[in-house]
Amino acid sequence: MRHFGLHAGLWLAVAFIILPPLWVLRTSLVPENMAYSTEIFPAFSLENYQSLFGQKRFGTFYLNSIIVAVGSVIIALPFAAAMGYAFARFQTGGRFGRFLVLSLQMLPPVALVLPAFAILRSMELTQSLTGLTIVYAALNIPFLAWILMGFFEGIPVDLEWAAMTDGTTAWGAFWRIVLPVSLPGLAAAGVLGFILSWNEFLFALVLTGSKTATIPVALASLQTSNGIQIGKVSAGVVLAILPLIVASRFIQRFIVQGLTFGSVK
Amino acid sequence: MASIELRQVSKIYPGSTAGVKDIDLKIEDGEFVIFLGPSGCGKSTLLRSIAGLESINSGDILINGEVVNHVAPRDRNIAVVFQSYALYPHMNVWQNMAFGLRMRGNPAAEIDAKVTAAAELLGLTPLLQRKPSALSGGQRQRVALGRAIVRDPQAFLLDEPLSNLDAQLRAEMRLELVRLHRKLARTTIHVTHDQVEAMTMGDRIFIMKDGRLVQQGPPLEVYANPADTFVAGFLASPPMNLVAGRIVADGDGLVFAAKDLALPVPAAYRCAYAAWAGKPVTFGLRSEDFHAAPNGAWSSPVSLQVEAVEALGPENILIGRLAGQQVAARLSRHYSAQPGKTVTLHADLAPMHLFIPEDGKVIPRPRAAPAPLWGRT
Repeated sequence: MRHFGLHAGLWLAVAFIILPPLWVLRTSLVPENMAYSTEIFPAFSLENYQSLFGQKRFGTFYLNSIIVAVGSVIIALPFAAAMGYAFARFQTGGRFGRFLVLSLQMLPPVALVLPAFAILRSMELTQSLTGLTIVYAALNIPFLAWILMGFFEGIPVDLEWAAMTDGTTAWGAFWRIVLPVSLPGLAAAGVLGFILSWNEFLFALVLTGSKTATIPVALASLQTSNGIQIGKVSAGVVLAILPLIVASRFIQRFIVQGLTFGSVK
Repeated sequence: MASIELRQVSKIYPGSTAGVKDIDLKIEDGEFVIFLGPSGCGKSTLLRSIAGLESINSGDILINGEVVNHVAPRDRNIAVVFQSYALYPHMNVWQNMAFGLRMRGNPAAEIDAKVTAAAELLGLTPLLQRKPSALSGGQRQRVALGRAIVRDPQAFLLDEPLSNLDAQLRAEMRLELVRLHRKLARTTIHVTHDQVEAMTMGDRIFIMKDGRLVQQGPPLEVYANPADTFVAGFLASPPMNLVAGRIVADGDGLVFAAKDLALPVPAAYRCAYAAWAGKPVTFGLRSEDFHAAPNGAWSSPVSLQVEAVEALGPENILIGRLAGQQVAARLSRHYSAQPGKTVTLHADLAPMHLFIPEDGKVIPRPRAAPAPLWGRT
């Protein structure tokens, strides 16, 4: 009873957050002409999804998003790991170097998108997934490096020293000890990078074409001159959120589990 | 098997007072030595330099007579046990112990045999499949030792390996380490700030302070003949009693005088201390050299104003004032006194020392009791 007030408040907050997505899910599952009906669930229909994957070629855009998001993380992660390790262990660049990395995150994306477009155009990489993947990787590196730096700083240098006296080189100690131990950090950083790339809109809008659009761009294109096709937008939103829900479960598991526990003291 | 020699070794960290300066020392093959000093004295830095984990700024490190300044840690064939144990958290006990052998490319059958043998020796056999996180502090300690032993290195470097254990376990591991050393007969350097470990484990102690080597020698030798007030204070608990006063000529003899206190200097030391007559000195006497009854030829009665009594069980430590300065006297458990009372104790002056007040250095004198100090086997 003592917690009743607290729980009531929490349920209210949960409802406040979860009702809009639930309504989106509901709208995506009813026929387009009943989308604005006041009934809670007037009729069941998969026509929105069928239309998305059929005439709207949503499958292609879905695949594009996956390629770009996964690709950019795969490219960015090794660089970010090396950079974060250098910051953490060798204080490379000192405080100024760290500030520089952080300051890159503070630049408004609009300031970067035009130069990026100019560079990609000279390389004939506009309207291509390759170009967008490279740009996303570049945008991800400082952010991921910053996250990984924190992780590497938490790994005692004794571990590397032990490995080096055990017979590895400095590189071997990084590869065989530091990387496996920081696997949860790498996974967390990778998932965060994936989410950032998945949700990104501005660069995708400017740098892709009709065949290479990613999901955010495809969703925006559903706002036509004939009005917003709210049923299809809802279906698209549901599909766009799905991988993020999976990713957040994943990231939670990895971040909570502290793997270094037990190595020292 | 390895001898380790340091010649004029210095390691200075830019913008910091830590580090070591001009260290000269030689450790014989198979010796068990202790690096003793307060935290920040540079003993761990020195250890890491010997292991090759820190580069030195100047001087030479020799292993088996060969300069190894630029030899990588993995090629020095030295095993380090870290204070934090530094077990690889993603590997189980077996993998932790086998890692060094695998890195050196030993055949699988040999690795298996060696790990099994080391696990047997340290009582780790039932734990081989566990991850470090599932081990107790003492078990982790033994795994760290096992990881060092399996490699059969030329030398063991132990960086405060017992400091994270509770008192009882520490006493057990102390014996265990000495036993292991006797069995393996490998050169061992044990870094510690614990004077009990220093006194009981090593063949020789190297005492460090502020990055410099202050004194070296067999434990009892250093205990009986400290080079300065720092060593005198550091190597025992309670530390050696130090009383400021002056040396006064008294007929043929010399007397140490401070306020109402007057202690006759033993005849054997007169020549050594004669030059200091009339000058201020610091008198040093260990707490166990106070007795309830006269003891020895140079026993002298003193009045102690008792301030506190620490009853430890086997003995009572009386803390009080002598000539207005705090001293501690270690007496049997049968002797006690009321705080606030003044009692008469008998100071045995044969083991006394005099120190120069300015720099704390000992004033050299003939050895008090040469024979029993060398009885270590």
